[in-house]
Amino acid sequence: MHEEITIGGFGGQGVLFIGRLLTEAAFREEREVVYMPAYGAEKRGGTVWCNVTISDERIGALFIARPTIAVAMNSASLNRFKQTTKADGLLIVNKSLVPETVSRGDISTVYIPANDLATEVGNSDIGNLVVLGALLARRPVVSLDSIHQIMKDSLGEKQQLLQMNQKALEKGYRWTKKEYTG
Amino acid sequence: MSEKTLMAGNIAIAEGAILAHCQAYFGYPITPQNELLEHMSKRMPEEGRVFVQTESELAAINMVYGAAASGCRAMTTTSSPGFSLQQEGLSYMAGAEIPAVVVNVMRGGPGLGDIGGAQGDYFQAVKGGGHGDYHLITLAPSSVQEMMDFAMLAFELADKYRNPVILLPDGFLGQAIEPVVMRPPVTKLPEKPWAITGARGRPKNIINSFAMDPVDYQPHVALLRQKFQRIKQNEVRYEGINLDDAALVMVAYGSAFRSAMTAMQMARQAGLKVGIFRPITLFPFPVAPLSNLSQKVKSFLVVELSLGQLIEDVRLSLSAEAKVELVNQFGGVPISADEILEAIEKIMK
Repeated sequence: MHEEITIGGFGGQGVLFIGRLLTEAAFREEREVVYMPAYGAEKRGGTVWCNVTISDERIGALFIARPTIAVAMNSASLNRFKQTTKADGLLIVNKSLVPETVSRGDISTVYIPANDLATEVGNSDIGNLVVLGALLARRPVVSLDSIHQIMKDSLGEKQQLLQMNQKALEKGYRWTKKEYTG
Repeated sequence: MSEKTLMAGNIAIAEGAILAHCQAYFGYPITPQNELLEHMSKRMPEEGRVFVQTESELAAINMVYGAAASGCRAMTTTSSPGFSLQQEGLSYMAGAEIPAVVVNVMRGGPGLGDIGGAQGDYFQAVKGGGHGDYHLITLAPSSVQEMMDFAMLAFELADKYRNPVILLPDGFLGQAIEPVVMRPPVTKLPEKPWAITGARGRPKNIINSFAMDPVDYQPHVALLRQKFQRIKQNEVRYEGINLDDAALVMVAYGSAFRSAMTAMQMARQAGLKVGIFRPITLFPFPVAPLSNLSQKVKSFLVVELSLGQLIEDVRLSLSAEAKVELVNQFGGVPISADEILEAIEKIMK
């Protein structure tokens, strides 16, 4: 397997965080993995992105030009990814913040109201985990269990926070299974 | 002890230095290597070693000079504009035969430039950015694992030759996170009878890079020349990939090499016989291996993040009839595998 995942959104949406979760999970599942973040002048409200490449073989490029999986948390990211996503790729769009749709027949799309679903579990800020659930529902690049385990390991004592994060992840996963894989 | 962990390139250099028993670190913040300095500020005191955030890069290099003259393993890390400020110190240390490690996590230039990754300091590192006749052993990592491994190797080579060693990654490698196999720590350090440790009971040691009379200094420079010759003979390192059947060979290091790897895989899938030659030591440059390769292969493509610096050393190494092309990015912009593939297709069609 070889997946090139790019995630883009506003600073503060947790774009880098879910990239790191995917990276850590791939690492625990003993795959080759490279995480390449935007760095520098990124700030809350500005556009931020990260690349995660997961593979069974030695990974070359640090940067991804044409992702096999793209996640657009804001409109600026969608504008970029709607062109760059590879044929047969998957494009996930956060419908809560991005009104636009994409007219490409050669890729799969998921339009998920991530922040609205996050609000339903009690915190509108964790749309990133909803989207991560959606990604894993369509492309199990790592197992849902690995993500749960990492959150458990890092949030162990903060039970309330952990449960909310887990709910958001599950919510995105189930919603997508229901709406898109029927 | 082969524990595997996820690590950013900058952190891997810091941990590699600690494993190599770096006893003193001096540095001044600059992106894109700040994580390195920050990590050292925490880890060096934890290890009971010296950490100083200096008032400038100039202060840092001169503190390294002093600390290393006393015989301890010392290091400074910076990025391009800071590296320029350290050239005087590097020339003095090369002249005085002081072993130390200087890391330049290269960013876009010239001038204050930008904070993207770049390879525009190639000439400065390998041709001697300071004054006078000297060379610095220059190591070019291309993965986070090599950031750790070469940080350790840098200390070893510095002591072996009593010469400063440059670790020369680009900013992108500094930020990238990859799995790393942790190495066992160095427990035995070489003896340094030349060091300034207090002369009680022995003749005094003098460390400088100066003589009033050229008659006195020329023999010293002649000895340095012999040392640089030994380094050229013994320390050339490189990696060859798919060279056996290659009709075109790319030459690249650092993050440009990583993009070239992907371009090579894409080219091979399209039936194009492409290989890669990766210099690991930029000084000593792998002249003979490249020269030998050009007896067989006549087409070369240099991939680098500069206006064309590595390509000059490649040209000097190859046989006269070999053709050399350049595909590059510069000014802090990464190069994509697609751009490289396009250049490959143009040459091979």
